[in-house]
Amino acid sequence: MKGLAPLFLGIFGTFAFSWIGLTVIPNWQIGHLNPESDEEGTDIYPQPQSGMFERGAHVYAANGCVYCHSQQVRADYAANDIERGWGNRRSAPSDYLFERPVFLGKMRMGQDLANIGARAPAQQESPAPAGAASPVASPGASATSPAPATSPSSQPSPATAGGSPTTSPAQSSPAGSSSPNTSPPPGQRTGVASPSPGQMANATSGGNSPVAATAQTPGAPWPIQTEGLPPMYSAAWHHVHLYSPRSINLDSNMPSYRFLYEKRRISGERSADALQLSGSDVPPEGWEVVPSYDAKCLVAYLMALNQSHPLKGLRSTGGASAPGPSPAAASQGASPAPSPAAAKK
Amino acid sequence: MNATGIPLKEPAIASAAGDMEQLERAYIDASTRVPVLMFYTSAIAWLLLGTVLAGVVSFKLHSPDLLGNISFLTWGRLRPVHMNVMVYGWASMAGMGTAVWLMARLCRTTLRFPLLLVAGAGFWNIGVLIGIGAILLGDSTGFQWLEFPRYVAVILFVAYTLMASWAVLMFRHRRGDQIYITQWYLLGAFLWFPWLYAAGQLMLFVVPVQGVLQAAVGWWYANNLLFLWFGAIALGTAYYMIPKVIGRPVYSYHLATIGFWTFALFSSWTGMTRLVDGPFPAWMITASISATILTMIPVATVGLNHHLTMKGYFPLLRYSPTLRFTVFGAMSYTIFSVIGVLISLRSVARYVNFTQASIAYSHLGLYAFFTMVIFGAMYYIVPRLVGREWRYASLIKLHFWASAYGIGLMTLMLLAGGFLQGADMQNPALPFSESIETVLPYLRGRSLAGILLTVANFIFAYHFGLMLLGLGRTSTVPTFLNPVDAEPSGGH
Amino acid sequence: MDDEPKMPPRTGQGMDYGEQADVLEVHAAVQREKREPRVGAEPLSIWLIAIYGLAIFFGGAYLGRYSGNFSGGGLDPMGAPPAPKKAVAGGPAGGEQVELSPRDRGKKIFAANCQTCHQANGLGVPGQYPPLAGSEFTNGGSRRMGMIVLKGLQGPVTVKGQQFGAAVMQPWDKTLTDQKIADVMTYERSEWGNNASPVTAEQIAALRKELASHHESYTEHDILAAPDEDIPGGAPPKPGEASKPAAPPKP
Repeated sequence: MKGLAPLFLGIFGTFAFSWIGLTVIPNWQIGHLNPESDEEGTDIYPQPQSGMFERGAHVYAANGCVYCHSQQVRADYAANDIERGWGNRRSAPSDYLFERPVFLGKMRMGQDLANIGARAPAQQESPAPAGAASPVASPGASATSPAPATSPSSQPSPATAGGSPTTSPAQSSPAGSSSPNTSPPPGQRTGVASPSPGQMANATSGGNSPVAATAQTPGAPWPIQTEGLPPMYSAAWHHVHLYSPRSINLDSNMPSYRFLYEKRRISGERSADALQLSGSDVPPEGWEVVPSYDAKCLVAYLMALNQSHPLKGLRSTGGASAPGPSPAAASQGASPAPSPAAAKK
Repeated sequence: MNATGIPLKEPAIASAAGDMEQLERAYIDASTRVPVLMFYTSAIAWLLLGTVLAGVVSFKLHSPDLLGNISFLTWGRLRPVHMNVMVYGWASMAGMGTAVWLMARLCRTTLRFPLLLVAGAGFWNIGVLIGIGAILLGDSTGFQWLEFPRYVAVILFVAYTLMASWAVLMFRHRRGDQIYITQWYLLGAFLWFPWLYAAGQLMLFVVPVQGVLQAAVGWWYANNLLFLWFGAIALGTAYYMIPKVIGRPVYSYHLATIGFWTFALFSSWTGMTRLVDGPFPAWMITASISATILTMIPVATVGLNHHLTMKGYFPLLRYSPTLRFTVFGAMSYTIFSVIGVLISLRSVARYVNFTQASIAYSHLGLYAFFTMVIFGAMYYIVPRLVGREWRYASLIKLHFWASAYGIGLMTLMLLAGGFLQGADMQNPALPFSESIETVLPYLRGRSLAGILLTVANFIFAYHFGLMLLGLGRTSTVPTFLNPVDAEPSGGH
Repeated sequence: MDDEPKMPPRTGQGMDYGEQADVLEVHAAVQREKREPRVGAEPLSIWLIAIYGLAIFFGGAYLGRYSGNFSGGGLDPMGAPPAPKKAVAGGPAGGEQVELSPRDRGKKIFAANCQTCHQANGLGVPGQYPPLAGSEFTNGGSRRMGMIVLKGLQGPVTVKGQQFGAAVMQPWDKTLTDQKIADVMTYERSEWGNNASPVTAEQIAALRKELASHHESYTEHDILAAPDEDIPGGAPPKPGEASKPAAPPKP
């Protein structure tokens, strides 16, 4: 090749083409979306998030959650994310208007978290420790009451979060002892000796914790219930899960984030935030484990991840519809627009 | 060395044209010695660190409680550190060192102001060091391959400007009309990188775009870094090393031209394939998938060009370490691209998206392709810089086979594991945890492959250290992989 | 460049560090190496050009098929209609998602499939293609119209007192879905001054099943033999359907 000019121009031009095509034009197309609202201008979605949310997102980034958890629900024609109960509609650009950075993720070594906040039990049912995070729960949560919306659809595939049988205290004899906890066993209760996480929780925290009773709601709608632990996906549950993932799900390969928690001596009254641990994680008598501010922000962030609000132009699987979303929606008379599923036929 | 002018036109010094060329090369090599060796030394130091981190990260993935309770040793921090060390520490520095040497050779000019480069490399090292410190302390931005916080980006940019300025200087002083193929790729890489990096930083952190577009910009950046920075450097290097070692012209100029321009045009568009089925306008993703299909054009062209250049000379692979590594890398480029097409098609991507298969893909690109080509180049360049030959043929052989088997096994494990993981994930009858259970054995296999790669990299680092300390052989013949009976036809 | 004093000069081969003066003692590696690479000029092979063609064809086809109409709202690759981001003010209330109304969708289908013959103004072409505007078939019961659309029409036909017969209407049952046929009929029955009941996909599905055994196009005689009535199961029996009523007012 002779001459620099064509070379330079070509190098410049090809790259400019890609830059304009993949960043500038999309920015012009969907870079200036506005939140949606109904006609009266109320019920705005999405809404700017709290400062705790922002900080929680930072914690989320700092600890690399994004390398294992995605935050996007794919459409039903592409994947069964919706069927798994990870959301009631596909994610859309509008869902992420106020998120910075955006954690779409490209790996699922753990569950999708796009709707983890929506999958939490309704606020009033949350046990006391959830108070740390409840103020920041999404404003849309009460209106659409997300918990019942997703729970029926996750019923047919039991143990959406996986590994539920092993965590049930009933069949714990070998499982409890093999619990892979390299953490320093707190106090005298070593993991080997403990018969089962659930019983241990009853034995220890039942006495001094006012929460234990409320937590054991037998017929709870969410799939996995571990006796002695807070309801699934509540703020308190997140804290326990972050502190000791394998106390909730033995098969979990999530690292524990104990460095976000502080083990301290109880001074006076037991803190309302104190974690409701079980098994070998239970701190020795007179000690408690409390979340740091970062941990609270992270959980606040998780609890606010909620894309269950309907978006214009996107089909949601109806809140009260029977399990098996796509046929149900298609059979609702003439109302559904040419959904992607219908268009494919 | 302060000889900036080469006494080329002095017939008193050298009588034959061949001698003059040799002299010229000797001068050029001498002028690049300090900066290139500095690049290589730091790159290899980063490589070792990255390798160790890779091992820890890989083990932690299936044994999550390993070293878990300390904040800066948590998996979610070590993994980005591993990636950034490999990308900015090892690959970028090794690539730039190679590019500097190639550029000087091909411009037929000594490197001016080598201290500029040394300073640049120093700044770059400091930037990477601060960057990984920041990630470990919890200051990651959360965007893949852009985890370094903003202040680090500034340092890297300054360092890059220092380093890139030589390219301009060198081009201004180049001799000869022809701009060889390698120079196209290198020039492209050196012009694309700053634009890419600046665009990424600006659109993500300075004037952030809205919502999901951040993810689009992030992947656009990461993908183009892989193709237009590492890919371009590696292809340029292969275009130099193959004809150089076998002493034969590149097969076809036309193929090279088509290959280069289609590479620049199409591979820069492939970034959105990682976001398939995501919350984006469908055309963005489809355009990237189409571009991925179209990258078959440069792949076929470049592959054919290399193949026909090599034709008849394949027995040389038995002897020349450079050729063996380079050809392995060039072939991996083809495999990497074909797999890239396969896993990007929508019908396949919905299975392998969110699985380990994408990790296999990036390892293919960054290790099987780029790193192997660069290893080949180092086997060629380092003896010319230190004036010694590689000491042990056995170590080179061991390095090659451990790398080849290691990366092959790793790719297979991750691809197979990824596909099975995806199939489980797409099966609504199975709980989600089943897909993780499925992939865990493959991750253990990956850890095994990682051990092989660790062995390979440490062997190479040891060998390189020997060279650096002047403990290589002094000999007129290069270190061949296998003993050569007659005078080998491969000038090495 | 500064010297590196760490290496004492050695005898033998190799360019010793710090000896710039001795330009003739060139490093052995440099001495033996081949000349700098050059470029040959072999032509392209025909097979390579075939590969190019193939890649361009598939790449282009892929782009065309999954482009989602290149719109910012088209999240679905198969080109489902983009969400009407701006023009939603008139949409039905009640938390229901606002899609394009059946009539708007029908307009698109009409433009894509029917407009060539029946024209955008619905007046057809005199002597060849009958009008839809004001036509007794369009404004009559949906059964006759559905039969024509599903199975096509051949032979002479009289519409609005004029004879047509030079052209044949093709059957659409193989190419359009129930939903699309319903939409386009709904559109035709409410446009150009027409004012007939909307048609649902269920009605078309029922009719399609009913006519499944009929393989040829109908003639005017067949059509007139059928009762001029709406296909049962239409919109009126279901008053609860919020989103159904014919045309939402244009914003």
